[in-house]
Amino acid sequence: MNDRPENQFARLATPAAAGMLLWISRTLLSVLIGYPILLAIRASSMTSGPDADSVLFRPGSLLLLELLRTGAPWLAAAAQVALLLFGLSTILELVPLALALDLLWLPGRPLLERLTRALRIFPRFLALGAIALLVQAALLLAASLLGAALKPLLSSADERLRSILPLAPIALGVIACGWFGGALDTARAALVQQGELGARAALAHALACLRQRPFSVLFGLYPSVAGSALGVLSAAWLLTRFAPPSPSNLALALSFGAHQLATLFAISWRVRWLGTALELSAEND
Amino acid sequence: MRRATQDLLIGAVFSALSGLLLRALYSSTGAPPAPEAAPKKAEAAWPALAESAPKVASYVIEAKFDGERHRIAGQETIHFVNRSNAALNELWFHLYLNAFKNDKTLFLRSPFGAGRSGDKAKEYGYVDVKQLTIIGGDGQDLWLNRDRHSPDDPEDETDLRVPLPSPLAPGQALDLSLEFEDQLPELVERTGFVGSFHFVGQWFPKLARLEPSGAFAHFAFHAQSEFYADFGDYDVTLDVPSTFRVGATGSRVRESEAKGRTRLGYHAENVHDFAWSAWDRFEERSERIAGTQVRVLYPPKQTANAEAELASVRFALPHFNARYGAYPYPTLTLVHPPEAAANAGGMEYPTLITTGGPWYSTLGGGHFIDVVTTHELGHQWFYGLLASNEHAEPFLDEGFNSYAEAEALESRYGSGSVFGAFGLSVSSTALNRLFSAARGADEKIAQGAADFATFRSLGALVYSRTATVLSTLARVYGSDRFNHALGVYTRKFRFQHPTSADFMGVMQSELDSRAVTALTLALSERATIDYLVREISNAPISAAAGVFDGPSGREQKKPEAPHQAAQYASRVVVYRHGTLQLPVEIELGFEDGTKQRRHWDGSGFTFNVDNVGPSELVSVNVDPEQRILLDDDRSNNWLSTRSNAAPECRERALYAVQLLLGAIGP
Repeated sequence: MNDRPENQFARLATPAAAGMLLWISRTLLSVLIGYPILLAIRASSMTSGPDADSVLFRPGSLLLLELLRTGAPWLAAAAQVALLLFGLSTILELVPLALALDLLWLPGRPLLERLTRALRIFPRFLALGAIALLVQAALLLAASLLGAALKPLLSSADERLRSILPLAPIALGVIACGWFGGALDTARAALVQQGELGARAALAHALACLRQRPFSVLFGLYPSVAGSALGVLSAAWLLTRFAPPSPSNLALALSFGAHQLATLFAISWRVRWLGTALELSAEND
Repeated sequence: MRRATQDLLIGAVFSALSGLLLRALYSSTGAPPAPEAAPKKAEAAWPALAESAPKVASYVIEAKFDGERHRIAGQETIHFVNRSNAALNELWFHLYLNAFKNDKTLFLRSPFGAGRSGDKAKEYGYVDVKQLTIIGGDGQDLWLNRDRHSPDDPEDETDLRVPLPSPLAPGQALDLSLEFEDQLPELVERTGFVGSFHFVGQWFPKLARLEPSGAFAHFAFHAQSEFYADFGDYDVTLDVPSTFRVGATGSRVRESEAKGRTRLGYHAENVHDFAWSAWDRFEERSERIAGTQVRVLYPPKQTANAEAELASVRFALPHFNARYGAYPYPTLTLVHPPEAAANAGGMEYPTLITTGGPWYSTLGGGHFIDVVTTHELGHQWFYGLLASNEHAEPFLDEGFNSYAEAEALESRYGSGSVFGAFGLSVSSTALNRLFSAARGADEKIAQGAADFATFRSLGALVYSRTATVLSTLARVYGSDRFNHALGVYTRKFRFQHPTSADFMGVMQSELDSRAVTALTLALSERATIDYLVREISNAPISAAAGVFDGPSGREQKKPEAPHQAAQYASRVVVYRHGTLQLPVEIELGFEDGTKQRRHWDGSGFTFNVDNVGPSELVSVNVDPEQRILLDDDRSNNWLSTRSNAAPECRERALYAVQLLLGAIGP
């Protein structure tokens, strides 16, 4: 069942390639998703002046708010299209995810074979994703209901507790969702490692893994989540401190560079977690 | 387990670093820049400040407060002077608290949601007058002869006429004695109670404002309306349970305690209302700012909000003093209601304002506390000292004060006066323009509060559009000149009841007749303005071709190839839609990178901008500094022959979607 090779060096050498694969796919899909919004912005004429769209980002946001006011119907329609594309993209992103897992697990395989494998397990990835979506929605709903149920009990508490405590179940719900998401990645890893495994068996495998090493899953995800936040905040901080205050090509280039570095940083920690998920899955066999 | 521990440590380090960065980001973008020095203007340039108001109605009130039953038993005497030009045969009393008596009052029968809060009380409130007599008179109870309801409204008892037994001649005074009893409503509109928190505004029988003509400016209390009253002195004694902490209009001049109750005496001169608040959980901060004793009453564990409010006053009080004339009262009280009583927040009374906001209001880059505190403090001038008729001309206080608020906040925070963090800033001016443009010419601004179709319409037009009209004038005439004109108005009419005509008079003398025309059209005629350009044309100028008969005979000149042209005749036509006329700058951009400015005084409906030069015209930008904030649609103010690429939007959209996919994607 487990056809994992012994070539540890090759497995360690591939995270960069896996990261680039995920970054390229995410970037292409992001361009696709953002395109309708861009079209709507350009259709609003707010960017057709001599200073193009830099006017939207001037201090005070006078013209950014003007864009939201005058372009609201187009932006709303574009947002709906973008949402649809976003949904489709989350499905399409399963293919590069499968490829990345496969790359991490078996570095030396030819690309065509890898792609064929990825497409073969894609329906099972999709099924796992649907299950995860349902479970996570249920978890969040339960957390929200618990939070709402807490509110009347806190009527005599001070304002601070009244507003914070109902958020506690929701925060726990989010953590539980993350936890389950981690288990889902372990199931995906199992599918990649054991090509003929069914979605249900993979999920059972992942839940067994979760039972045996609950903290390995939770804590394994933690650097990935915190790393994403750190990347985003670092980029924001760098741009706030060092980017030229007025719009220019240099400012645009710096912004692009900082943002893409943040994205790559987040993806690198995601790849590290995927490697951990593969190891956890393998150790659970 | 070792791997899990390692992951936990890495995550913890990342989280700690994220926390530090978040803090650095907030302090670098959300913290205020160094405040601008208070506006300088030689005092001699201003009109002399009146030291006191012409007092018409002065009140002495003894009130016993029952915090359990939310009731107040009051004894009131009114010293009333007929300062009008006519003999009076009647008095008009406002019993505002009766607005909450039942669902059929004018206030509560308004369509649900038409009022300011949109909430509906479960417990009703009212004021009963037990007796009204003339002190030194024959003891007749004048209240028995009152009209039973507001004029033409049998369901409402907020505006009642009381006939006088004999006419009161101009200049004559009258002392009245009243007994009354209040039942406070559940707090849904500024006054009432929530638990043990009480805010007590518009709570005592109050004379309507006597106009110089001898007519009383009386009106039934409408959900969209505010108030209007004469100046006077107030001396109020509040008898409250000792467990309560009280904040009130004026200065505390007496205090005694006996049998679990405290008697607090408050005195205020040259004011036109008296409000107070009592709560057994208030905490208190106090500080002397610009010669005024400022006191903040706030809910437990909201010290950050209280400190933010004091910081706002530290900046705004000297700023407003310099702009609009010195605050003349010795005290200022800020009441921050608890979250459950948020409907008491954001309101102004003489020397007392209410702020508001949840405990976390100071977190993040928003300046909510500063906005509400600065706005309500501004009302000490635009309402308190310039006591305009808020019912008939609400824009004179709310609109002018919204301008004053935005001006002060932008002096303090710059372009991030409403929000400033993470590289995004939103200014008060931008927000006012957004709401103003959204409602545009729906209704005229200069109309009575009750005449607006909805409170949202009133909010957009009275608050935001008036502020935008004034900001536009400030940008067109220069902010120093306009602010000086506004300062003349606030000083000249201090302790008076100015009307829009008074304001126009000052604008005429301080600015010019074009400003008055623009103001009149914008405020009273629903006038709008929209500058736009449709196309740019360039024609190469070459030597004239054709057949020419000259002294040396007939000569034929062939047209030159276009690339040989050394000069271009460029034209762009700028249009002005709407009836407002305001001067505007037009910026032309040429192929060779040069720029030119043209000025259009706004007269006529089109303006041809012609240019002959060595380079083609490639762009035009009408009002590049965005001075005409009233411009209906800014997206048609420019044109460029270059491609509409939107590179910054593309970059930001890409990153935003990448983040979203990272957060929600597989």
